[in-house]
Amino acid sequence: MKIQNILTVFIIMSILPMTVMAGGGWPQPKDKAYVKLSEWWTSSDQHYTDVGLIDPNVTLGIYTTSIYAEYGITNRLTGTIYFPFFSRALINNTVSSTTGEVLNAGDAINGLGDTDISLKYGITGSGSPIAISASVLFGIPLGNDLGGKDQNLQTGDGEFNQLIQLDAGSGFNLGSLSAYVNAHIAYNNRTSGFSDELRYGVEAGVATLDSKLWLIGRLNRVDSRKNGTLGNNSTGTSIFSNNAEFTSLGAEVSYKINDKLGFSAGITGAMNGRIILAAPSYTVGVFVNI
Amino acid sequence: MINKSSYFSFIVLTISFLTSCIGDDFVFDEVEPMVVITSNLQTLALGTTFQIEAKYLDNVGAEQVLPKNWTSSASDIISVDQSGLITALNAGQSVITAELILDDMILEDQITVTVAEETTQSSNARTGVIESTSSYRLEGNFSLEKVGENLVLDIDETYQTTSALPGLYIYLTNNRNSNSGALEIGEVTVFSGAHSYTLPDDVGINDYQYLLYYCKPFSVKVGDGQFEN
Repeated sequence: MKIQNILTVFIIMSILPMTVMAGGGWPQPKDKAYVKLSEWWTSSDQHYTDVGLIDPNVTLGIYTTSIYAEYGITNRLTGTIYFPFFSRALINNTVSSTTGEVLNAGDAINGLGDTDISLKYGITGSGSPIAISASVLFGIPLGNDLGGKDQNLQTGDGEFNQLIQLDAGSGFNLGSLSAYVNAHIAYNNRTSGFSDELRYGVEAGVATLDSKLWLIGRLNRVDSRKNGTLGNNSTGTSIFSNNAEFTSLGAEVSYKINDKLGFSAGITGAMNGRIILAAPSYTVGVFVNI
Repeated sequence: MINKSSYFSFIVLTISFLTSCIGDDFVFDEVEPMVVITSNLQTLALGTTFQIEAKYLDNVGAEQVLPKNWTSSASDIISVDQSGLITALNAGQSVITAELILDDMILEDQITVTVAEETTQSSNARTGVIESTSSYRLEGNFSLEKVGENLVLDIDETYQTTSALPGLYIYLTNNRNSNSGALEIGEVTVFSGAHSYTLPDDVGINDYQYLLYYCKPFSVKVGDGQFEN
């Protein structure tokens, strides 16, 4: 796992809420689909260290353009895919403030990112006051885990992970406004010596403007099981985020132009963490309901 | 709907292209310029000569070749010419000075040489203390000395650091703020306890002023130690 994995964590962090937003505990109806084109990015010149303090680093960035899609195979079974078809990771030049000379040249790589494929099953039927679903996700390592001239840039973590997740959501009215709340818990089984992770979080949304505008907040936590065999420093440029842990807080606005089309924008940041970038991530996207 | 969808998709993709360029991060790397005598001569045999070497390190710790002014405190005991070549003339001791005048600065370094029966190099080790300059743990003592024909950097048993950093490297440098121009000794693979590194043959014991721990992939200084002698 490489520095990219710090970023990958953020990616995953932003993917899971996306899933929740599109469905949460609610699977797609049969033959219905939700498709979202997103741009997600973060750039940071500081990080949380192994003791949870913030230290500087050369600016690192990753920019990922992705397609996320859900399809109702049946009324209870939904298939989803997250496909980051263009991912760019970069590291800035370091330049002497005294001479203006480039001390360490920056670098960038472009390519596919790691792809997630998942199935979600609605445990409760329609009409249930609490929608509960179970999901299984497979993380396919299509990204580059050793990119750049120093092999310190990645668009994937190089490991095949499997994640199982339980969602429970409920919709209700908040005065005259529609609202929902959803909670999830997941176990991420990671391979190639990486530590497994326990992920959990809550999400709440409220709709206004005739349910066209949704305001959504998310609080998520990732705990490392610290059971990996890699340690934190198995290679020269890697493992920066093996055993990463963080609490993140995110907000998103989603506006439906009509029943089919909408767009969204969001921001997520780590409130605390260990071995993870200390900077917010941003996302904008356009989605269609088919 | 397709038109609107395409429009918003275009915006999404444009954001990516506009924001994802490699930029510059500036490093404050200015240091005090200095002249350093790198020769480790202790005694000089009567009637023989020895070339004293000195280097000028500029405000980023890089060596610049500039002529120095050489003087001897007792030229009747040891004479010195303007290339730094010294000659032992009589028994006794002399302080040899290399001086460089730059605009409003006078930089100099000195070495004390004793005229004796034979020419010898100092066997004293150079020592220092490793300290963290980040929130990553890093501590210990170090020494640099000749062991036989080899120059060996010893890290003692008090040494401890974290294994959480990827690509932690150790350097000898004349600029503690940057690994630019530094001698890369190697990647850190020992995270506690005593260990040592054998340095390349062309490295002199007085060539560097600092030991530097640096996270190479992220250009982050983790800690350093200054030679105290």
